[in-house]
Amino acid sequence: MTDVVSLEALYKTYDGGVTALDGVTASFPAGSFTAVMGPSGSGKSTLLQCAAGLDRPTGGRVFIDGAELTATKDTAMTKFRRTRVGFVFQDYNLLPSLTVEQNVVLPLRLAGRRADRHRVREILDRLGLGDRRDELPERLSGGQRQRVAVARALLAQPAVVFADEPTGALDLRSAREVLTLLRSVVHQHGRTVIMVTHDPVAAAYADSVLFLADGRLAGSLRAPTPDAVAERLAHLGDRVGVPA
Amino acid sequence: MIAVALRNLRHRPGGFVATFLSAFLGAALIMAFASLLDTASGADAASNESLVTTASVGGGWCLVIVAFAVTSTLTLAVRQRDQQFALLRSVGATGPQLRRMIVGEAVAVALLASAVAVPVGWALGRVLVDLLQNTGQVASTIDPVFGPVALGAGFGVTLTGSLVAAVATARRTAARDRRRQRPLLRRIGAGLFLLIGANCALLTATLMDGKGIDAMQTAGQAGIWAAIGLALLAPELLRLVTAVLGPVVRLFGAPGELALSGPRLSSAVMPVLLFTGIATGTVYMQGIEDRAAAGQIQPAYAQDIQTLNYVVVGMVTVFVAIMLVNTLIAATTHRRREFAQQRLAGATRGQVTGMVALEGVLITVTGVLGGLVASLFTVLPFGSARAGRVWPDASPAAFGIVAAIAVVLTASALVQTARRTLHGPATAAVRA
Ligand SMILES: Nc1ncnc2c1ncn2[C@@H]1O[C@H](COP(=O)(O)OP(=O)(O)OP(=O)(O)O)[C@@H](O)[C@H]1O
Ligand SMILES: [Mg+2]
Repeated sequence: MTDVVSLEALYKTYDGGVTALDGVTASFPAGSFTAVMGPSGSGKSTLLQCAAGLDRPTGGRVFIDGAELTATKDTAMTKFRRTRVGFVFQDYNLLPSLTVEQNVVLPLRLAGRRADRHRVREILDRLGLGDRRDELPERLSGGQRQRVAVARALLAQPAVVFADEPTGALDLRSAREVLTLLRSVVHQHGRTVIMVTHDPVAAAYADSVLFLADGRLAGSLRAPTPDAVAERLAHLGDRVGVPA
Repeated sequence: MIAVALRNLRHRPGGFVATFLSAFLGAALIMAFASLLDTASGADAASNESLVTTASVGGGWCLVIVAFAVTSTLTLAVRQRDQQFALLRSVGATGPQLRRMIVGEAVAVALLASAVAVPVGWALGRVLVDLLQNTGQVASTIDPVFGPVALGAGFGVTLTGSLVAAVATARRTAARDRRRQRPLLRRIGAGLFLLIGANCALLTATLMDGKGIDAMQTAGQAGIWAAIGLALLAPELLRLVTAVLGPVVRLFGAPGELALSGPRLSSAVMPVLLFTGIATGTVYMQGIEDRAAAGQIQPAYAQDIQTLNYVVVGMVTVFVAIMLVNTLIAATTHRRREFAQQRLAGATRGQVTGMVALEGVLITVTGVLGGLVASLFTVLPFGSARAGRVWPDASPAAFGIVAAIAVVLTASALVQTARRTLHGPATAAVRA
C-alpha cells in the first residue's frame, strides 16, 4: 500500500519559543482512517496543520501523494491544498456571508473550476442538508455547520481529509453521524482520513490510533476499542508526568 | 462598566484610533473657525463683520461635516465590536451596563481628542486671521484671540456629536436584535437632507439670481446638504452599483464572486461621496465665479471669499480624505478573521487582495458618481444665477482630478491594509 501522507522529522517552534512538534515521523497509507490523540497542548492541531499545508513546519518535510508540500511556496501550497487536501476545523470556519452551497463549492471556485451541481446536491442530501442549501451558516445548528464543513472538505474528492476535533462541539447523535460519514469515506470511497480527537469512542471508529505527547510520538494502537484507547491515554498521562 | 470602558481604551487603543482621529481633526477645524468669533469681539466694525461672516460660513460647513464624520466613524467602530458585546452579555452584562460602557468610551475619546486639538485649532485660527489680514479684510492691528467661544464650540460640538452617536448606537447594540437596523429612519433623514439641498439650490437659482458672488452661500450649502443626504443613502446606492456592475465583476472569477457576496462596505462609500461632492462642487463654483467676475467691478470681499473657498475646500478635503483612509483601514483590519477563513478554504493571498480591490472599485464608483450628483446641486443653480447658463462652460478635467484622488486614496488604503492584514499564517489569524 502506498503512503498518501508521510511526515519526515517534523519540528515546529512558535514565535513565543514553544516547541509544539519535536521530531515527528509518521506515514499514513492510502485508504486508512487514523485517529491522533494526546493531552491538551501535545501538538495535535499543529501536526495536522503542518501536514495539511495550512502552516509551515520549522523543520522537516511533508509529502502528500508523492509531492513535497514543504518545498513549495505559500501560493503553490494553497493551490495544491484546494483540490488534494480537505480540512475540517473544530470551529467550522464557514464564511458567514455565503450560503451553505456557496460555502461548499468555494474551494473549487477558488481553483477556477465549476462544481458539478449534481455532486453538490448529492453530498448535501447525503449529509441531511438537502433542504438547507440556501441557508446562511448562522441559521444552522453546530452539528449542521460541521456537516457543511465536512461536505466542503469532501467535494473536491481530495486524496486526504484532515479533521481537527470534528465532533468536539457536537451532541452524541450528530457526532455519530459525522464519524460514520468519515468512516464511509474511507471504506467505501477509498480515501484517507486523519482525525484528531479527545474522545476514545470517536477514536474507536478509526482503524488505528496514533498517540502524541509533548510534541513527540508516544505509540500507536491498531483496531482500537474505546476501553483500550482510554487505558492507553491514562498511561500516557503517567509517562508524561514521570521523567524517563 | 466605566472601569471596563477605560480598560478597553488602554488595552485595545487600535480600535479607537479612527474615532479619535476624526474627533481630533473635527475639533481642531471647529476651534479654528470659532476662534475668529473670539477675535471679532475686540475688533472694529468692519473687521468684526468680516470675521463673523468667515466664521459662520466656514464654520457652518465644518460643523455639519464634522458632526457627520464623528457620528459615522463612531457608529462604525462600535458596530465592529459585536463579538465583544455578545461575549460581555453572555457573562452577565446587562443592556444598560453595555450602554454605559459604550457611552463612557465615546466621551473619554472625545474629551481626549478635543484637548489634543487645542494647540492645532489655535494655530489654524491664527492662519485664518493672517489670511484675512493679508487680503485687507481685517485690520492688521488686530491680534488673533483664542478664547471661550473656540474652546466652547470645539469641546461642545465634539462631545455632543460623540454623545448623541454613542447613545444611538449603544441603544441599537444593547437591544438584542442587532440585525434590526433602522433603514426607515436613515432614509427619512436622507430625504430631508436632499430636500434641504434642493431648496437651497432652488433659492440660488431664483432669489439669488443677479446677486453675484453672494449666491455662493446658498449654492455651496445646497451641495453639502445633498452630499450628506446621498451619503445616508450609501447602502442603497452601493447595492444599485453592485447590481449594475455585477456581471463585470463576476468576470474575475472567484475573487469577483466573493466581492459580490461579502459584507457590504457602505460605510466606506460615505467619505468618498462627501469628498468628491464637496471638492467638485466648490472647485467648479469658484471657476464659474472667476469667469463671471472677469472684467467686472467686484465687491471688496470677493477675493476674500475666493481665498476662503479654497481654504475651506482644502481643509475639508484633507479632513474627509483622512476620514476615508481611516474608515477603510478600520473596516479592513476588522476583516482579519474573514480573510483568514477564506484562505483556509483555499484562497491565495492574491485572490483575497483581488477581492478587496474589486470591492474598492464598487465603493469608488458609487462614491464618485454620488459625489458628482451632489456637486450638481451646487454647480447648476450657481451657474444659472451667476452666469446665466445651467451647464458650466468648464472642462471636466478638474472633476477628473478629484475622481483620481478618490481612486488613489481608496485603492492605496484598501490594498495596503489588506496586505498587512494578510500577513502571517491563516491558522493564527483565524483565532484572533
Ligand atoms: N499560534 C501559536 N502561537 C504560539 N504558540 C502556539 C500557537 N498554537 C499553538 N501553540 C502552542 O503549541 C503547543 C501545541 O498546541 P496545539 O494547538 O497543537 O495542541 P493540541 O494538542 O491541539 O491541544 P488541544 O487538545 O488543546 O487542542 C501548545 O503549547 C500551544 O500553546
Ligand atoms: Mg487542538
